[in-house]
Amino acid sequence: MNDPLSRRDFLRGTTAAVLGASLAFGQDKAVPKKARVILIRHRDVLDENTKVDPEILQGMLDEAVTRLLDESDPAKAFQRLVKPGETVGIKTNVWSYLPTPPELEAAIKRRVVDAGVAPDKIGLDDHTVRTNPLFIKATSLINVAPLRTHYLAGVCGCIKNYIMFAESQPAYHPDSCADLGSLFKLPQVKGKTRLNVLCVLTPQFYGRGPHNFNRRYVWNYKGLIVSLDPVAVDAVGLRLIMAKRREVLGKAQELPPVPKHIQLADTRHGIGTSDINAIDLIKLGWNENTLV
Amino acid sequence: MKVTGTQRAFFVGAAFLAAAAAYLISGGGAVADFGDKIPRTVGGWTASGKDRTFNRETLYGYMDGGAEVYLAFDLREVWSRKYAGPAGRDMTLDIFDMGSPAEAFGAFSCDREDPDAGIGQESEYGAGLLRFWQGRYFVTITASADDEAAAGAVLELGRAAVKPLGPPGAKPDMVAFLPAEGLRPGRTSYFHGLVNLNNRFFIASDNLLRLDRSTDCVIGEYGARGAEPVTLLLVRYPDAAGARSARQSFLASYLPDARPEGIALTENRKWVSASARDNFLAVVFDAPSGDEAKRLAAAVKFPAK
Repeated sequence: MNDPLSRRDFLRGTTAAVLGASLAFGQDKAVPKKARVILIRHRDVLDENTKVDPEILQGMLDEAVTRLLDESDPAKAFQRLVKPGETVGIKTNVWSYLPTPPELEAAIKRRVVDAGVAPDKIGLDDHTVRTNPLFIKATSLINVAPLRTHYLAGVCGCIKNYIMFAESQPAYHPDSCADLGSLFKLPQVKGKTRLNVLCVLTPQFYGRGPHNFNRRYVWNYKGLIVSLDPVAVDAVGLRLIMAKRREVLGKAQELPPVPKHIQLADTRHGIGTSDINAIDLIKLGWNENTLV
Repeated sequence: MKVTGTQRAFFVGAAFLAAAAAYLISGGGAVADFGDKIPRTVGGWTASGKDRTFNRETLYGYMDGGAEVYLAFDLREVWSRKYAGPAGRDMTLDIFDMGSPAEAFGAFSCDREDPDAGIGQESEYGAGLLRFWQGRYFVTITASADDEAAAGAVLELGRAAVKPLGPPGAKPDMVAFLPAEGLRPGRTSYFHGLVNLNNRFFIASDNLLRLDRSTDCVIGEYGARGAEPVTLLLVRYPDAAGARSARQSFLASYLPDARPEGIALTENRKWVSASARDNFLAVVFDAPSGDEAKRLAAAVKFPAK
């Protein structure tokens, strides 16, 4: 017999609005338009020392974006996202324990250049995006962040990655960072995000210690999750975290407390799709232990 | 008894002086002094960069996502030093001045899962992370690698860091209120706020128990290892009205099907109870029977008035 849900499980699941969705995942449901999300993995993108192979990673990004946009060529795909003459900000994440890999930043920047954007009009920043002239002038943003758990927000992905655009970060902390979705309505951000890349090369599924990081809770998943929809990539990322936690920590710790901001980014702030049934998840590449 | 304004001012002043005295006698000194007291070289590892100090306002810039966990305690300052080791490895020493030994124990107690390392008053080490508390200080040492050499350096630095922290201190009084029979060792946690409760034992996203920095909480697990534990959460509110109000809030939102005495069988076929006494609230989760829930709550060793 399966262990019945406890009341605490139920409250945690309904809070994050993922438990019900996870039970229904894979069932057909009539929805007018699904958010397309690409999950791509490659067995050899990391070596035995977790060093990134930049060529393989570039290939993964290219394949993901071309499939996302139904284009045959990565440059053409990126031309659908950014235009020559634009100023583009690549919002990365420099958290010292698990930053966006520089190889991934370089791969994105290369394709933005290929799309016709001048290299001196491409900003790459995290902590100083609010004052960085390139981000102040940016007409397009590309959002790239690693996936990890977070003491307050439950998970940290593409939605939370924009917190550096906020004047006050602690102002977004109440109620498990419930309103992180509103970051996408800030004047510096609104309507500018062209692509979201959730880096799951080495996601972190659990946190320990003052910096909420411990190497034993990071695994080599060797993937990227890519979409035009920042909420949809995080919704898929959350499912991945949940699956890994269930596998390693057990059912009782499946859900980190409490990633409600993903659902609220959809239902309260309307910036994307959190309902897993309304997401068209396309899986490419290496399919061993995909978990989602 | 009605308290006059003069009496209230006297009590507040006395409480402040008592807290200040406790802070001073807990030893260890200002965190900035640790720069001279903690060795700069440990094995093949050497201090790198400048030592840094963070306060309650600047902690956010140092800890992404972790600051609230410590700010929910009476954190005063954090002193931090990095060490560079062989092959580009590093380790970080963070010393948290938690204001009192009770708070230092609290910070340590909320995140335990590794074996004892025999350092300070209580400690644990696993996979490159050492955590311990001593007096009013909570200490972590985090290595970028978790091999044998890194472990040796982490533990050696930890042992060297204990002496400058001063004498041991007492655990919070709340810990002694938990019934001793069946209490699982190493699973008792002390804290104040919702963020700590939810990371330790998730109940609900909403603050049903109305926890904040004025509340003291202790949580313990009961039953044989390997079995699903029975969990006892004991909360001390500033006054009896706070305890009663929190109980009503909890029953209304979490246990609306409770009997008048505040006990109910929940979906997992386990029992939950909530009972208030004076300014305390005792909540028992996942008891195998209603009688067991009542027995555990009744066994709480409330302080004499």
